[in-house]
Amino acid sequence: MSLIQVENVTKEFRIYKREKGFANTVKSLIKRHYEVKRAVDNISFNIEKGDLVGYVGPNGAGKSTTIKMLTGILLPTSGSITVNGMFPYANRTENAMHIGVVFGQRSQLYWDLPVEDTFELYKKMYKISDSRFKRNVDFYVELLGLQEFLQKPVRQLSLGQKMRANITVALLHDPEIVYLDEPTIGLDVVAKSRIRRFIQEINREKKTTVILTTHDMDDIEQTCSRLIMIDKGSKIYDGTVSGFKEAHNKRFMIQVEFADDNVFITDERFDIAGEEGPSRKFICDKETISIGEAVTFLTRNYDISDIRIKEPEIEEIVRNVYERAAL
Amino acid sequence: MSYIPLYLEFIKIRLKRMVEYRGAFLSGAAAQFIMYGTTFALIWIMIDKFKNLNGWSSYEILFLYALDLCSYSFAAFFLFNFSMMLPVMIQTGEFDDILTKPLNPFVHLISREFNIAYFTHITLSVLVMTICFINLGIRLNALKLLILLIVILGGALIQGAALLITTVPSFWLIQNNSLKYTFFTNLKSFIQYPISLYNRTIQVLLTLVVPYAFINFYPAQYFLNKNDFLIFHPVFQYLTPVVGIILFILAYRFWITGVNNYKSTGT
Repeated sequence: MSLIQVENVTKEFRIYKREKGFANTVKSLIKRHYEVKRAVDNISFNIEKGDLVGYVGPNGAGKSTTIKMLTGILLPTSGSITVNGMFPYANRTENAMHIGVVFGQRSQLYWDLPVEDTFELYKKMYKISDSRFKRNVDFYVELLGLQEFLQKPVRQLSLGQKMRANITVALLHDPEIVYLDEPTIGLDVVAKSRIRRFIQEINREKKTTVILTTHDMDDIEQTCSRLIMIDKGSKIYDGTVSGFKEAHNKRFMIQVEFADDNVFITDERFDIAGEEGPSRKFICDKETISIGEAVTFLTRNYDISDIRIKEPEIEEIVRNVYERAAL
Repeated sequence: MSYIPLYLEFIKIRLKRMVEYRGAFLSGAAAQFIMYGTTFALIWIMIDKFKNLNGWSSYEILFLYALDLCSYSFAAFFLFNFSMMLPVMIQTGEFDDILTKPLNPFVHLISREFNIAYFTHITLSVLVMTICFINLGIRLNALKLLILLIVILGGALIQGAALLITTVPSFWLIQNNSLKYTFFTNLKSFIQYPISLYNRTIQVLLTLVVPYAFINFYPAQYFLNKNDFLIFHPVFQYLTPVVGIILFILAYRFWITGVNNYKSTGT
């Protein structure tokens, strides 16, 4: 049985519909119109122990709602969720013992106290034994470089330091599953890559199952083995990250430096996207011509001094997918 | 029992935070002491002018107020910050974090959000009660002292229940201040004076509907050897703990309903 099983889960919210105009505002004091919004629409997936899954989607796609249902904060309207053989909403406290949660927008730390004090509190809250506590604190302090600010009040820490401390707090009790909701939000490049490396490290070392939501596709590409994408509450992709790129990336770009200036390619499979002196940019569609064929075609028929092939960044592919879904 | 180490840790953290802001804490405590001290003085000055109010002497009325303040302080120690924080936590989504922890959310919040400043009120009200007993020539034996303690705890449960019941609607309304001011702060100011002063409707209201009279009016009959039971039975002087327990159970169930509503709507 999978560690996490999500079957046909739907979550609906009843939302009060605001209408324009003062008269309508007054009227809404007495009678309100509600509309049902389906935040998550019949989603199913399984996650195995040790998976490192990226859960992505545009704003309002239902990511947070799904995470909240998995952690037991919200009750699904229909469908069933089992985590570790339990229903997270029915066995909330029991489930909470085995999970760690980081909401990137909020902090678990006491603003006016050093990080160490929060560690002590969580040691007692999760009944962590002295030896395990010491081992884990040492491990995370080393891996995340917490030493330099362990004794400083949290209010003096930078955003990146706070995030590292928050992640540590969520992991002190060796949870089997950790949910990270936008853990890299607002961080600089160095802080981001530190957190990415750390996520991979605990996944490898402790076999922790990680579910990561983010808007930063580099987070996903550099850390996750699997990608689940949702839009408007429905799942639109579930598979490997490379498979996603493969499936949604039908085009590639070839930049060629010809030996002389006046080269014309009339082949329809090469769509010209730019020219400057002897250099040309072509966009090709993988359906009509493979990268190999394109390179062979060009090198056989023309005198070429340089050739470069660029595939679109994952960011761009995702943008295309979102835009297509929005239509 | 396994909860004790965690509770001690919450206390430790609260004390450490207080030390961080020592000045704010000390000036706050002094301000509270002066504020409630003034209220006592005001009541005393007023009653002293009239000598007695419907058969109640000034010290007896001071005792009523002290008993109310004392039990309120015990309730507010746990629930005042709680009642202020909950609407904010629901607004900011911080309540989500509480639900991801392996603790009963109610226990978690009252452990975390207790307000140590209420020791000032407890000290002040115990002081005033002692002054009242001395001036009224009432001696408390061990049994009476025990009953006083039970009455204070029972009253604390009533006041705690009232605070909780007026806080829980924030799960639906997000804001609960007007409810709290109407049903708690305003309605409770009736019991600063003996409820025998008011008309029948208000007496019934304060006994059966919003039973604040059990906080001080009825148990005071026992301590002050009075016999002012209005239309009700004298057994009411002993009912404070029973009313407290029942009300608090109801309030807690209401809280559970609120949390469940949050889980299904997310607010």
